[in-house]
Amino acid sequence: MIKGRLPLVVAVLGILPFVVGNAYLQHMLVLWAIYALLALSLNMIVGYLGELTFGHAAFFGIGAYTSAILSMNYGLPVWLGPFAAAIVAAFFGAVIGYVALRIVGPQFAILTLGFGSILYTITNYWVDLTRGPMGISNIPPFSLPGLDIDFTRADRMYYVALVVLLLVAYGCRALMTSRTGRAFIAVRENAPLAASTGIDVFHTKLLGFTIATALAGVGGALYGHYLRVITPDLMSLQYVAALIIMVIVGGKGTIIGPIIGAGIYVALLEALRVVGSLRLVVFAALLTLCVIFLPGGLVSLWRRYAGRQAAGGAS
Amino acid sequence: MDFIVLGQQIINGLVNGMGYVLIATGLTLVFGVLRIVNFAHGEFYMLGAFLTYYALTLFGVDYVAAALLATIAVAGLGIGANRFFFRPLRKEHEFTILLSSLGLSLLIANGAEELFGADPKYVMSPYADEASEIGPFVVTEQRLIVFAAAAVVMAGVYWFIRYTRMGKMMQATAQNPEGAALTGINTDFVHGYTFALACGLAALAGALVAPTAMLFPTVGSWAVLKGFIVVVMGGLGSVTGALLGGLLLGVVESLGGGYISLGFKDAIGYAIIIAVLLWRPQGLFSVSRSTR
Amino acid sequence: MAKNDILLSVEGLTRRFGGLVAVSDVELSVARGEILGLIGPNGAGKTTVFNMLGGTFPPSSGRIRFDGTDVTGWPSHRMAQLGLTRTFQITSLFPTLSVLENVRAASFRRAKTGWAGAFFRTRAWREDEAALARRAEEILDFVALGHRRDMPAQALPYGEQRKLEIAVALGADPTLLLLDEPAAGMNPDEGAKLVQMIRAIRDRGVSVLLVEHHMKVVMGVCDRLVVLDHGVKIAEGQPQAVASHPEVIRVYLGREKVGA
Repeated sequence: MIKGRLPLVVAVLGILPFVVGNAYLQHMLVLWAIYALLALSLNMIVGYLGELTFGHAAFFGIGAYTSAILSMNYGLPVWLGPFAAAIVAAFFGAVIGYVALRIVGPQFAILTLGFGSILYTITNYWVDLTRGPMGISNIPPFSLPGLDIDFTRADRMYYVALVVLLLVAYGCRALMTSRTGRAFIAVRENAPLAASTGIDVFHTKLLGFTIATALAGVGGALYGHYLRVITPDLMSLQYVAALIIMVIVGGKGTIIGPIIGAGIYVALLEALRVVGSLRLVVFAALLTLCVIFLPGGLVSLWRRYAGRQAAGGAS
Repeated sequence: MDFIVLGQQIINGLVNGMGYVLIATGLTLVFGVLRIVNFAHGEFYMLGAFLTYYALTLFGVDYVAAALLATIAVAGLGIGANRFFFRPLRKEHEFTILLSSLGLSLLIANGAEELFGADPKYVMSPYADEASEIGPFVVTEQRLIVFAAAAVVMAGVYWFIRYTRMGKMMQATAQNPEGAALTGINTDFVHGYTFALACGLAALAGALVAPTAMLFPTVGSWAVLKGFIVVVMGGLGSVTGALLGGLLLGVVESLGGGYISLGFKDAIGYAIIIAVLLWRPQGLFSVSRSTR
Repeated sequence: MAKNDILLSVEGLTRRFGGLVAVSDVELSVARGEILGLIGPNGAGKTTVFNMLGGTFPPSSGRIRFDGTDVTGWPSHRMAQLGLTRTFQITSLFPTLSVLENVRAASFRRAKTGWAGAFFRTRAWREDEAALARRAEEILDFVALGHRRDMPAQALPYGEQRKLEIAVALGADPTLLLLDEPAAGMNPDEGAKLVQMIRAIRDRGVSVLLVEHHMKVVMGVCDRLVVLDHGVKIAEGQPQAVASHPEVIRVYLGREKVGA
């Protein structure tokens, strides 16, 4: 839907920190970009492969802990952290996926819930490594080699997160125009038929699941180096629910949908600050309303509108 | 090894397990009859516990009456929940239905936190502090009541499913919804009834177990996880599986918590889920249906 | 027949379910460019044979050779990668994708460039994509669905869905196509068109193995027939010869008319 207007969109996103001009809103923008990245990674499983996972936040947490621990205890340069996070998260993703993807449907969702909860429990109790429920604080801020840029400032960090987000969004688009991505969709739509055309269903799902978990790891690393404090709660069901809400409310199976969904999530989180924890009720209501009345998410509204315009123009 | 300690732990495990049985029976009925994996099931447990608390403190009725009131009220809520969150999606993919139940779960859990406050509540039961001794073992009266009441209710559920007209309609709907509809069974009614029964059982579990622990609005996600573990162990849709699985989980957790680390007690359950789903996806106790 | 003219050869194919023998010691072969019909009364074991050839489950014993390779017990996707593609008895499509995307999604075997090519928009990727698009359009025209290319598959009427299934199977670029009761639910007029289409598929260089109930379709299109009854092959040969084979008449007598 943004075809042809892409340069304009990128330009607007590029100047946004100057437009909002206020450090707090810039902070919101960073959170949006990181959440959008995470939502896109979850979308690969939920939207493209068509499986519901309740364990995705665990990989977000693994990425955050990997990058934080490696950079603090083992002297890994911070800019390498996201890569290390991707590798470690992908390793866990591949192992868990290899085991869990043999099962489909609600049982798969329960299974991922089990794996996610175990990773959460381990993070919580392996105090020697993770400092347990206290979490890790004073994580070094993001940095780039040879450049003296202060990435504790939100308007700077925003560009890091934005570049990663745009790369991932472009990567998703490229995926959908390659045989790999079409295999994902074929598996989602009809696994036996996909197999009959030569697609290895299990390994296709494993590939998608592993890539998604790697991307979640990158998001976690950026998140940790930005907020500089992480706790095991990153892996809790609350974050699982938040990511699912972003993907479903925005529109699963699209690229723009999860990005918009993350924006709505962050914006509402802020706009509803006055009502306190009632926000969570609003999010839950939003999710439920979308599931029941708008299965395609908010982007499907736009599509419907655009479709009507096109139909009106033709007649 | 001290056999008295071991025996005490098994007894504690069986009592906890009976609570799991009540939770899991509703979950498994809803899956069997409505084909719904209800992520929100634990919230009805939570509501049952909280309504018991408020009936006790606000209306001043006695504990037994409060528990019954809560059970009936939550069963009524269950009818509404099914009507608005699941019936419109009956023809949709299981994925959508699971998402709807997640939305309902978040809605109730967060709503409860708003309404009831996040601070812990204590449900006062006159039996909570009375200890009874059975031979060398000590059990509080409340925990005896949990066990006894749950046992009676489970017997009732068995009788209901096997011998009543509604129970038979539930079985027919579970086995073949189209066929049941063709023979004149109002499947919408059976679905609503089953859902209400399941919610009532969860609420009763909440009302019974609440006096043995502190009560938080977030307890629902704990309850549904226990329910999932039991249902996966027992086989989705099997009431007998829920009974055996619940007791087994209770005992395993109790022994594991005693001899391993208390912190990892919860992880035992998840490990069980994973092992069972991979090794025997049809459940531990079901007669194998996959002859092929 | 020269040895390398045989595309598919099956020897001693047997399948047991528990104590039941569903298919016993079946032998058959498909030559290049041939249309072979596999027929038999209900419960004869046609579908079981079909599922073993399509990789749904492995045979209990026996051997399947395809295009010079022993493919016994291979899963469906590996068979398909080698050029042996099956269709399904119950309509099976990618429901929310458009008609054109259905065929493109099936062209996994033909596509060479993967994600990296798409990411960097390499020349190889662009050429690959253009070729795939052309080929998908060509296949849609072949099954006369070109005018429906942008419609979601689930919105097509039944007859066109069955055509699209064949298009999807052709999208996978088979050398041997296994058709599982393609005429099910078709009226005589549609059945006649199906006969033409199967012939045209053969003319594209694709051999066909057809499992079918509709005798009119079978007699009209097959070069050779294999007849099963109770899991055993009872006859094989030219359609007319098979139709007058005493065993076949006995098996079909009072059940279905042969050649009707």
